[in-house]
Amino acid sequence: AQEEFEIKNMDMKLGATLKIKGKIANDAVGFVINLGQGAEKLNLHFNPRFNESTIVCNSRDGSWGQEQRSNHLCFSPGSEVKFTVTFENKQFKVTLPDGHVLTFPNRLGHSHLSYLGVKGGFKISSFKLD
Amino acid sequence: SAQGLVANNLNLKPGECLRVRGEVAPDAKSFVLNLGKDSNNLCLHFNPRFDAHGDVNVIVCNSKDGGAWGTEQRESVFPFQPGSVVEVCISFDQADLSIKLPDGYSFKFPNRLDLEAISYMAADGDFKVKCVAFE
Repeated sequence: AQEEFEIKNMDMKLGATLKIKGKIANDAVGFVINLGQGAEKLNLHFNPRFNESTIVCNSRDGSWGQEQRSNHLCFSPGSEVKFTVTFENKQFKVTLPDGHVLTFPNRLGHSHLSYLGVKGGFKISSFKLD
Repeated sequence: SAQGLVANNLNLKPGECLRVRGEVAPDAKSFVLNLGKDSNNLCLHFNPRFDAHGDVNVIVCNSKDGGAWGTEQRESVFPFQPGSVVEVCISFDQADLSIKLPDGYSFKFPNRLDLEAISYMAADGDFKVKCVAFE
């Protein structure tokens, strides 16, 4: 399996915005951007799936929560894309490459995020924390 | 200070450039950027010292191989100031790491570990990473 790109000890506080740029692999079936406290404690699991034409979001606290699905899959394999994640008290706002915003509740309720993990068919080219 | 940001599985290849931008604390004494395979195998330990370990405004570099430090190399250029935003760009080939500093300065450090890729990066000390780019 492809090893996961991961950042630990990130200092993402409430109100912060994380911008992630990268390239989706030509043969990508899907990819994952995880944000949380660690690999098993995820406040936001963001998982575009090209084979299902859907974006799955979820949370994980040892086990998976309830999936939230969006059909706003506005990007495709082989493209360079940017995602912006804003961390608010009650929810995440994920701005997709076309400007559409997905929201997902902050179910785990933390006010600080220290972990970023990226896997699957997405090669990160930069990340920026504001 | 608390342990800084750690990145794993970067997979930075020769010829590619790692650009790191961050904020140096107003009361900064020292900060560190470590690059390599893991915390015990560093092709570059980059340590600007504002006022630490008896050094004032000196960059100390070293390598770590299997947990053992190599020979220090000191740079006299020091284009850093407490309380500022700094950016460094690091690339490598078989012979050297090339470190580009603010204000157009640069220097080289020997690539002693012969790594095929840089997979690990860790920041420590009085420096808060804000942006990382792979080019």
